[in-house]
Amino acid sequence: MKRRYLVLLCFLIAATVNAQEKKRSGSDKKRKSAAYNKKAKEDDKFLEKQWWLGFKAGPNLSKVSVDKTYAVVSPTNYDASSIGKTYKNFSLMGSQATLEVSFYFKGFLISFQPTYQRSRFEYSNQFNWMDTIPEHNVTLNYHQEQKLSYAVLPLLVKYDFLHGRLRPYVQLGIYSALLLDATTIVTVSGVDQASGGANEFKNEPIIVGSKDLFAKSHWGLLGGVGLNYNLGNNVRLNFDVSYKYGMSNISSTKNRYSSDRLSGVGDAMDDLTLDNVAVTLGCLFPLRFLSSGFKTLDKK
Amino acid sequence: MLKKYYSLLLFVLGVSLLSGCSEKSNPSFDQQNFASIFDNSKFDASYFPIDMRETPDGGYIVLGGRRLSENSDFAGIYLLKADQYGKFVKEIEVPASTGVYPVGKLMEYQTKYYFFCMDAQTLQAQIANVDALLEAVSVTPVQGDLTYPAAASFANNNFILLSYNNNDKLSVISVLNTDGGILKSKGYDIGVGSDDEIITEKYVIEHYLRTGRQWPFEAGVMANGVYYFNGFYNYTFSLVFTDAASDDPSNVAQGQSDKGGLSGVSYLGANKFALSRFSYGNNYFLPGKDIPGGDPASSDFGGFTLPELVPDAPVKILQAKTDTKNALVYASNTKSKQIGLYFYEQETGTFISSRYLGFSNPYEISSLIQTSDGGLAVCGTTYLAGRFPRICIFKISKDELNGQLSK
Repeated sequence: MKRRYLVLLCFLIAATVNAQEKKRSGSDKKRKSAAYNKKAKEDDKFLEKQWWLGFKAGPNLSKVSVDKTYAVVSPTNYDASSIGKTYKNFSLMGSQATLEVSFYFKGFLISFQPTYQRSRFEYSNQFNWMDTIPEHNVTLNYHQEQKLSYAVLPLLVKYDFLHGRLRPYVQLGIYSALLLDATTIVTVSGVDQASGGANEFKNEPIIVGSKDLFAKSHWGLLGGVGLNYNLGNNVRLNFDVSYKYGMSNISSTKNRYSSDRLSGVGDAMDDLTLDNVAVTLGCLFPLRFLSSGFKTLDKK
Repeated sequence: MLKKYYSLLLFVLGVSLLSGCSEKSNPSFDQQNFASIFDNSKFDASYFPIDMRETPDGGYIVLGGRRLSENSDFAGIYLLKADQYGKFVKEIEVPASTGVYPVGKLMEYQTKYYFFCMDAQTLQAQIANVDALLEAVSVTPVQGDLTYPAAASFANNNFILLSYNNNDKLSVISVLNTDGGILKSKGYDIGVGSDDEIITEKYVIEHYLRTGRQWPFEAGVMANGVYYFNGFYNYTFSLVFTDAASDDPSNVAQGQSDKGGLSGVSYLGANKFALSRFSYGNNYFLPGKDIPGGDPASSDFGGFTLPELVPDAPVKILQAKTDTKNALVYASNTKSKQIGLYFYEQETGTFISSRYLGFSNPYEISSLIQTSDGGLAVCGTTYLAGRFPRICIFKISKDELNGQLSK
């Protein structure tokens, strides 16, 4: 693979150098005074376009928004809202790794950033049973954690504000996320006061593969800000903060109750959209060079 | 300028494509598949379903029993209405003064749903009915001396009722019209002798008090007009065939005292039944069995053994039809405290597949029906927090049923 990359680099360099040489040989040697200005113009023209390849990774936090709520337990003598799910947003850390391929043209970049994203979110609900004797009651707390793995395919437009060594940018785009895997962890705990005293307990977590309960894909909008820092050796350090705003339901509407184990526990997925804020750190390499010294002229 | 338009067009196309492929909310999915547990927050509330029917609005009526009080002899009558999505709509806790001890099946006739119950004082059998919206329950005493109703079915616009005559120790099969008039009735001795006291008082009465084993009583009629009941006869729990008039049954598939007999009976047509049997704690399924004449013993019927089921498990059998297959669905209680569904080909009796409902809390089967959309609805009892008996319904879509039958 390294060899192929080297061959590709050599080809790009050779093609670029050849193009430059052709331009130079074709110029008028008699007008030496204008040569410097012309070279500067060519350099500027060269810098108008660039391909970048990079890798970045970092943590993420997720938030879900409920479009429609679903429940297995249907109360007959109390309000359903009292056993409703309470979502805790941006509470569980996930992670992601991204391969970035960008094309730069006059301050703008078109960027494709395939990402492996692991998101986590959690919710809980509570059930109470009471007797006429106040001490006789049982409380059960259900805590559900969802772990989702996605292949995210974002297409972004970036704009560099500055053209110096430090290049802040903003970015905007759309993404499609393909579900790779999903796991649900249900933990039941509670207090049983019906046995003559407060008996607190916590059961072993129930871990269930739940890929069928989620939509195979969803999509959304993506925006963010970032910073590139040119190290001077053609390598840019990249710091990026992005927010993915889910536009479609991540739950499977057809398979909501298909897991007999989770339905048996009393869990049913709501219709949800998933938002995700990610912070990544990485580096970018140029793919287009001016000379055999791998000089991109982008040395500011 | 043109490039800008192209870019914009591409963006709009991309968004449209992604949006078009995204998961859409579909109310029909919510109707085709659901799981519901109907919870009451009262610590001492206790409900158990007996039978369930789909109503014309796509919802469900569940006939159930409820705990009346610590000292009450019999269970009270409980009716629950759920909508087409399995959500609670309404419940009726019928007062004990109106009737107690509800008995299935829940039978649909014209616009009403009928079931049998019992007068708490006289123990007289009563016909009760309720409308699809659960607006009111009406109770009519049976016009005759029929006590302790045990099982009922509906055929040819008449009720077939199995009841118990405690004075004469008889299993009584009767044919009644919808007004409660008795058209036919005949009692058969459950057995006398040294075991008499045990059988009558322990096995039968404890069944009604729900302090002992719940016996799989059944009653129905065959295509040739012969009535059958699964109940106590001549010391044993037997499947008895009769014209409901003769002194002696025309045929008996004999059990073995209280240790062996049939736990599930579903008439398929001609002389064929889908059966399940219990024998000393073991369970056997017999999908498609012709009952031979000459008073055979059910212990000779054979069948597929199901060691995963609880000893002497209750079994419900349903004939289910899909576009391509006629199937028999057996439902029972597993040792892992789930509801096990076992799918067999009706024609050949070949096992196709199985599925297990419920997890974590115990689940027990009560009733299963095929719904008008071609799916299955399974009604049972679950014990929330491992202790509070509550009614639950699982709805399985037609696609899922087809998938089960295609395995």
